[in-house]
Amino acid sequence: MKGRLIAVVVFLACVYAVASLTPGRFRAEARQGGSGSAAAPAPAPTAPGPVPRMADGHPDLTGVWWGGADVGAARGRGGARGGGRGAAGGARGTPPPTFMSLYKPEFAAKAKSLSDKDDPTLRCRPTAFGTLNVSMYDVGAVGQIISTPKMMVILTETYHGFRLVPTDGRAHPDDVPPAYRGDSIGHWEGDIFVVDTKNFTDNTWMSAEGRVSPHSDQLHIVERYRRVDANTLEIEATVEDPVVLTGPWTVPKQTLVLAPFDRIMSLNCSGIETQALMDAAAKQEKK
Amino acid sequence: MTRAVRTALVWSLVSLGVVTTARAHHSFAAAFDMNKPVSVQGTIVEIRLENPHSWFFVDVKDPNTGKVERWGFEAGTPSGMVRNGFKPGIIKKGVEVTIKGFHAKDPSQNMGMLRELILADGTAYGMFGSQQGPAAQ
Repeated sequence: MKGRLIAVVVFLACVYAVASLTPGRFRAEARQGGSGSAAAPAPAPTAPGPVPRMADGHPDLTGVWWGGADVGAARGRGGARGGGRGAAGGARGTPPPTFMSLYKPEFAAKAKSLSDKDDPTLRCRPTAFGTLNVSMYDVGAVGQIISTPKMMVILTETYHGFRLVPTDGRAHPDDVPPAYRGDSIGHWEGDIFVVDTKNFTDNTWMSAEGRVSPHSDQLHIVERYRRVDANTLEIEATVEDPVVLTGPWTVPKQTLVLAPFDRIMSLNCSGIETQALMDAAAKQEKK
Repeated sequence: MTRAVRTALVWSLVSLGVVTTARAHHSFAAAFDMNKPVSVQGTIVEIRLENPHSWFFVDVKDPNTGKVERWGFEAGTPSGMVRNGFKPGIIKKGVEVTIKGFHAKDPSQNMGMLRELILADGTAYGMFGSQQGPAAQ
């Protein structure tokens, strides 16, 4: 009992310390959040409605989905509600494996040698997965689904990505070039929509756990989308890459909520200054 | 150290990872020196609400020599700024502003990370938009 009490105290103290020691940019972002809709006082809670359904009876996943706020909000969260890094499960008290821990030695060394200045998103390249463990977000915090019985359209706000996911049982095509976001096909397993994505390029990053994380062109991602109620979407995913990983990585389950707006923004990406500054900073630090 | 304490420490480190990765897709600290604050007064010449992060450019005139230098300041992601209250077009070209932030690690660059942008009437904006709303207090 005493041990458990100490453990709880240690955990809370560490979490507090982490929040306090987080680099200045984060504290600045949190302090400087504004008065927009994302930070408006929450309305009185009401029971969520039932899962809306399409004409064919399957759940309708349509909506703009996020974790309750965009990046930089003083309140709410910039991501999804989800577990920590690594897979769910594992022996009691044993943290699940992280994505980084699954790298084969040679790729672990490569990943360790990379830093923020090597981040392909600084050159406006999308990731293969997503910073917040939600593929739909890519490196942002918001995504949109347009659900139809024959085609699921998954839209990404940050870096304007899209995935068109046919649901008619077709196989992956063999005549399309590899892509940053791969090629997706989908099917229903009861009320769960399963998306299978492969055919990725290998010249970007996986962005697992928000790190510069290389992958191969054998990357294979399977996502499972379940609309729990009118306002809630759960996503589970498994990531395989037999070239760089020793085994599959089970992404912590992410719980998204319906955003209070019905379309994402169209945002350009042209930033080149940050990349140049990071390169220059790295040279300065080497001197 | 008991097993429970060790477990708590491990999960605390896991939490560290979550906190540090859940806010932005790259580190400002990799490009800017958080120990080197900078403040300039100048005229807005360009605002880019774009990814990966937004930029504010100002022309700064040296009161003694009259020489004009252009400075650039990196702010937050455009989606975060807009959803946190920053309205595109609210600050026009030609407006006089004071920008406080942190200088780029490369001292040869007139660039910084935007911490605060202040208009002549005292209205202040942060890295992610308005500082006037209740959420920012």
